This record gives sequence, structure tokens and C-alpha cells, in this order.
Amino acid sequence: MASSLVVGGSEDDIAEALTIARQLGSVHIVAYGNVNAASLAEYGHIVYHIAQDDPESIFKAVKEIYDQVKPSLVVALTSKNLKDALSRLAGLYDLPMATEVFNVKLSGDQVSYTRGFLSGRALEDDVVPLPAVLLLAARKTPKAQKSQSKGDVKELTVTPSIKVVERRPKERGGVNIEAAEIIVSVGRGFRSKDDLKLAFDLAEVLNAQIGCSRPVAADLKWLSEDHWVGLSGHKVAPKLYMAIGISGAPQHLAGITDAKLVVAINNDKSAPIFKNCDYGVVADLYQFVPVLTKRLRERLHK
Amino acid sequence: MGDIVVLLKPALNPEMIRGTPEGSVDFDYMPLKLSDIDRNAVEEAVRIRDQYLKGSKIYSISVATWGPVAKRDKDIKMAVQEGLAKGVDEAYIVEDDLITPGDQVTTASAIVAVLRKFNIKPDIILAGEATIDGFSGQVAGRVAAKLDLPYVSFARKIDIKGNTLVAERDVEDYVEVVEAPLPAVVSVTREINSPRPPTLIQIRMASRKPQHVVKLSDLSDVVTPKKKLSAARVLAVKRKQVMIEGKTLEETADKLIDALVSEGVIKA
Repeated sequence: MASSLVVGGSEDDIAEALTIARQLGSVHIVAYGNVNAASLAEYGHIVYHIAQDDPESIFKAVKEIYDQVKPSLVVALTSKNLKDALSRLAGLYDLPMATEVFNVKLSGDQVSYTRGFLSGRALEDDVVPLPAVLLLAARKTPKAQKSQSKGDVKELTVTPSIKVVERRPKERGGVNIEAAEIIVSVGRGFRSKDDLKLAFDLAEVLNAQIGCSRPVAADLKWLSEDHWVGLSGHKVAPKLYMAIGISGAPQHLAGITDAKLVVAINNDKSAPIFKNCDYGVVADLYQFVPVLTKRLRERLHK
Repeated sequence: MGDIVVLLKPALNPEMIRGTPEGSVDFDYMPLKLSDIDRNAVEEAVRIRDQYLKGSKIYSISVATWGPVAKRDKDIKMAVQEGLAKGVDEAYIVEDDLITPGDQVTTASAIVAVLRKFNIKPDIILAGEATIDGFSGQVAGRVAAKLDLPYVSFARKIDIKGNTLVAERDVEDYVEVVEAPLPAVVSVTREINSPRPPTLIQIRMASRKPQHVVKLSDLSDVVTPKKKLSAARVLAVKRKQVMIEGKTLEETADKLIDALVSEGVIKA
């Protein structure tokens, strides 16, 4: 009988992957890190748990169970740790693997799916033979229900050959930019970190979250990476996205395709963002943004 | 002394996307270019050679995934030549219509086959974290597993200490500093360096460096594509592109606010 293997580091992630996995008969779960294994057992499948959550430990644990179970499908949610861990498994056995997939359909000995392609400018529909590895796009699959019968929890131990000498949690600004309704986003048009105050003032009036382009988070580190909008950062879907001093690199535009309305403010009238916005203002942000903030304050809170 | 290998992909240029009247991606019109993050990988290869592994050779390996090869050959060679101009010494290119359109299973097995066939024994294999067309970031991990080498993904800083690679990497929730014994496979993020454009002399010299074109029949154990691309459609995001101008900044601001109100995104 066909079976599948679900991998994850949180109950929510595992519950989404289970919805796909259960279509293939019996399921085994490999859970890693600080996850409540007893709660996972309530889904009714065998849970293998490892305490570590580094990619190599995850790879070694998944390989051990894969070799025992020989599943037709390995399914998880897309994350950096799992791109690393599961690409190794896929390489070892020449399994097809795809990331950020949705519309997953299993039929016979093959699976089809859809995923973003060409920096988010296109969608591709693919068919691959089983066995395969699929990393799902987050929040596009409903979560599986818990079951009457409880599964067993088995602890696994693995020894990675890569030594982690130091580990520091990423700085978080406490922002969930992906869920924001209005985003005021800043780019290299700002000359210094202090000048971002202009955008913060505007965001306050609009009750908006602050987003940013890649250089602001990754190179200059003016804002933490949870503000970063783009292909390597976060994909956003607000009703209003205001891009200020952002020229509109393809990787940034890929992150805002789901925004309902895009407004661009930039002093360079040839910036690509103007071809990718609904309303554009060619102006020096240092002059225009304070005026816009003032007028909004007057009209919104009169 | 071991050598350095850098993986370079001639990728579809997403900025040049074109659709057919039916909305499919018109692949015939899309040119290839060197995948952006691969530039960071070459830059890092050169830096590591100059700083730690003097006298090493830098090889690049590319696998053509988009065909037909005859039509793409010029683009493929241009992408590879950019690597040569930036400091790669010798390039290997797997070009064969039997493996286009390719997938990552094929690409990884072809890379490993080239290493074996030409007896290249690198100390370090570098790649970009993902390519600009597919962006699934899995080829480096596959190569590492096939060669049974340590894999350090998402590196944004690399040092070499004796026979150990020390890297700062950017994983899901943490920044990790890790140590791995060499030889190792490393994928790098854009943050690792700022690629310098090659000088005119480097560009001129690049055309004299060896580019070895390899056919499938020259290699063994290359897996042919498993993935079938059944459709690819252009994601049409239609933006209004209305430019707002006023005689004064105040007037411009008011016009913008009026537009936002009529769109229903703010209430004023």
C-alpha cells in the first residue's frame, strides 16, 4: 500500500501537509525541534521526533525513516531548513522535488501541482512521477483534522557532521507583514535610517505596517528581515501597498503581485515601479511624504 | 591543493517575459542570462582562491536546461563567459537536446557526472542559493548528497581555517555559525558580497579561456528529466499606471487621497 511521509517543525505546518499526505494511505510524521509531539500524536499517525532543528539533523532523521517506510510522497511546508534537508534526500534518490507548490493532485503513480515561476511573473503546471518530494506554499491547503485513535511518539537521535558553533535568533520586529492590510514600504530612496521617520509618520496615520525592499533589510540593516518584501523576503497581499523610494526590482515586484492597490512615490520617473503601480507620484519623497502625511491626518482625523 | 567549482546557470531572464495571445509563456522569445545569485558565487570563488587557496583553479559547470540548444547556444556561452571574465579559469557546459527542458534531477546528476568524467576534485563547490527562473534552491543540496559531502546552505559569510570551512548562514529562524570539514558544498545568498563587474581586459581574456562543451553521450549516469512542464502561463497583474500630478505638492497629495478614497482603501 502506498504511504507518505510528513515533515515539519510546527503543528500547523504538519496539519496542512497531512491533508495532502492522507490521500495516499498510511502516513508517518517526522517532527523536529520544539514541537509538541504528544499533541501531534492526536492526528493518529506514528510520530518520529528529533530535538534538533538544524537542516542536517532533519535530513538524517528523514533519511532514516524514508529508508524504513519507502513512501511514495514526502510532503512538508516550504522553509529554508526543509529546502536544505529535503533537497539532499531528493538528490540521494533522484526524486523530483518542487517548492512553494499548490493545487496538488495525486493520480495513480504521479502527482501534479502549480507553482510560481520566473520570479513570480508566471505560473507553471508540472507533472512528476512518484515517489516525489513536495514543499507546499503556506496557507493554501486546509488543515487536517485530529483523529480518534492516537499514534505513537518515538524519539530519534542523529549526529550531524556539521558543527554549529554559534546560533542567534533572528532579530524580529514583531511584525507579521504577510497579514498586513496596509503597508508603507521603504527603499533606497531614503538616505539614512533616521529619515525613515517620514515613513513611520505616514504609517501611523494610515494605521499601516512598515515594509521594505531587500537592501534596507539585508544590506543596510535599517529594519529587521521580517519587514522585507520580495522573492527572498515575504510575499504580501495588502489592500494598499505604498512603495516609497523603491525603484521596483523584479524580486521586489514578485513579492507584491497579490497587493490589491499599489501606489508608488519616487523621484525617478523612469523607475520600473511606475509600470507596476496603480497610482504613481513622481516627486522627491523628502518633500512629498510630509505633505501627504499632513493632508491625510487632516482628512482622516478631522 | 584542491580546486574550486562554481555552478553557473544560464537561466531564463524573467524581466524579458513575453506571453502568447492565449496567455502562455512564450519561451521562444525569452533570452537566457547568467542567474543573478550565481554572480555572488563566482565573486566568492575568486575571493576564496585569492585569500585562502592560492594556486587553485576555478572551474565552472553549467547544464543547459532550456533548449533547443542550437538556438540557445549563444546565450549559454555568453552566460558562461561572464563567469570566465570574472575569474573562472575553465568552463564545462553540458548542452544536449536530450535533456532539455531539464529539471533539477537531471542538472544535479549531470554536474556530478562532469566532475567524475574530468576528474575534478574540488575543495569547495559554490552555488547561488537559487536560480532566478525556477527559484527552488535544490541543486546544490542534491550535488552534496550525491557526492556525500557536507552541505552548508544560505551562507552569507565564508572563512577557511586550515581544512575547515567556517560559514555564517541564514536559516529559517536563526543565524548560525557552522564549521564543516572540506571538501564541502556551499550555497550563498546575495548578501555575501557585492559582485564587481569584470574589467575590459578580463572580458577580452575570457574569450581565450577554455569552454568544454559536453554531450550526454560523453557522460554516464545522467538521469533524464522526470518533470513534465504541462503549462506555463504569464501571471497578468494589471496595474492602472495612473500618474498623479498637481500644481503644488498639496494638490498632488489631495488628488492621491481622492483616488485612494474612491478605490475604497481608505475612508476620508
